[in-house]
Amino acid sequence: MFNLPIEGEELFVLEFGDIVNYFSLYTTTLFLFATAFIIIAIIARPERQTDIVFGTDAVYIKDVNQENLRFQRFMAIACGLATLGAVSSGDLFNFSLFTALIGITNIGIVAGVNNRYVLNAAYNYGIVAMVATTFLFGGAATALGTCGTLSIWELAGLGMVPLAAKMFLVLGVMGEGMAPFYIAKAEITRAPGAPYVLMIHVSSLLIFLRVIEIILTV
Amino acid sequence: MITLILPAVFIGLLFHGIHRKVIARIQGRPGPPIWQEILHTLKFSFKQTWIPKTASMPMFVFIVAVSIAIWTGAFYIVFSGGSLLLLFAVFMLHKITEHGLGLSSGSPYGKFGAIRSVMSAASEIPLFATIAGIYVVTGSLMISDITRYQEIHGPLLIGAFPIAIAMYIVILSKMHYGPFSIIEAKEIVSGNRTEHFGVWRAGLEVAYALKTFVLLAAFVLLFIGALPWYLMLLAMLIVLISLSFVCAFTPMLSPFDAVALQTVITGVLAVYIIVLGVIG
Repeated sequence: MFNLPIEGEELFVLEFGDIVNYFSLYTTTLFLFATAFIIIAIIARPERQTDIVFGTDAVYIKDVNQENLRFQRFMAIACGLATLGAVSSGDLFNFSLFTALIGITNIGIVAGVNNRYVLNAAYNYGIVAMVATTFLFGGAATALGTCGTLSIWELAGLGMVPLAAKMFLVLGVMGEGMAPFYIAKAEITRAPGAPYVLMIHVSSLLIFLRVIEIILTV
Repeated sequence: MITLILPAVFIGLLFHGIHRKVIARIQGRPGPPIWQEILHTLKFSFKQTWIPKTASMPMFVFIVAVSIAIWTGAFYIVFSGGSLLLLFAVFMLHKITEHGLGLSSGSPYGKFGAIRSVMSAASEIPLFATIAGIYVVTGSLMISDITRYQEIHGPLLIGAFPIAIAMYIVILSKMHYGPFSIIEAKEIVSGNRTEHFGVWRAGLEVAYALKTFVLLAAFVLLFIGALPWYLMLLAMLIVLISLSFVCAFTPMLSPFDAVALQTVITGVLAVYIIVLGVIG
């Protein structure tokens, strides 16, 4: 598949039958980026959020619940690991699975804040993410039904995957990767953002970048 | 390649200075000297550096290093004829650094900048339209193949003008003082960069100078073709001055209008690419 003029040179290939996990320059870049942010999520001290008191010049620092932060950190690391899987998978089913996992962990990161508005945002996003899962697996199933394999390596350059399956995959990723918009609605202004909320943005953008590579390749 | 990074940074900073000068002259102001941004960067390099008590460490510092690293990588991709998809990835990862800058400080102003950065994610969509369009026209996403295609078929600026417009808007969305620069609007101080001072700000200036240089170089390579270095710089300067004109004449859009306009442009381009794909 590296004959295709899309993603640059091959760096590493790991075969499991017809399922071939591969690292190109492109996927390696995404992988390293996700790894760096997982390390940051593990070692970084969360920000102490300040807010403005309306009508005055005063600012105040919000207290952070350690219990919630521990849960957010766990979810952020899980989200990072799922992202690693999504960007390195050579199989449409595994890609869909890891992407769905990213959606679930993103809900967890948002829901780890005891605030009515934030939880409401998590609930809304959860519904979108669940609906998106249908499209995601529908895309993979359509590809399997049409081509007889889910291996990106096997399907590369053949153009056999129907346009509808590609559109389903993109719609699925858009739904799962919609998180930053829900976060912007409430979470960022009411909860500590770095480094846990940032993992939501990292994972969302990386799966978006990966699905573009996949639809161009297959 | 590494020895070219330093000149690229200086030229990028000089471009920022020229950009400010052109805007000032159009608006009837004398404006700063064109080397002002170089002086700014040097000044910030030696100023006192501090980290807010509320910041998320080491994220606050790490995000500056990431910003420099990704644009250094982008410089390598463009000038080694690498994959346009990888350049697109860098552009998207830049969005994460914009978020990270704002989120890591704990400042409400930085946070508002970060939120606007999320909202203006639509600025990446025209770049995707550019990539899809170029792939449909040239059949390759390798920059080396695209420049070779132009040697045979002529510049894509003429052959695929709407795609060039999309890329132009992408660059415009990343220019200082432009209509889409909502993340650093003055009503939120310096937006996501508010708390990054001293050497951190100098690092960001370096990264943004590289970004401007890389995006302008990519535009010239993708739509005009490979040129001798002095003609390349001249072409980049002409593109930059045209962008400065747009920035000088256009007010900053509201976040809603910025997103709506970029989405409409992408929609028009999607129709163009579909027509191109069907007819081609």
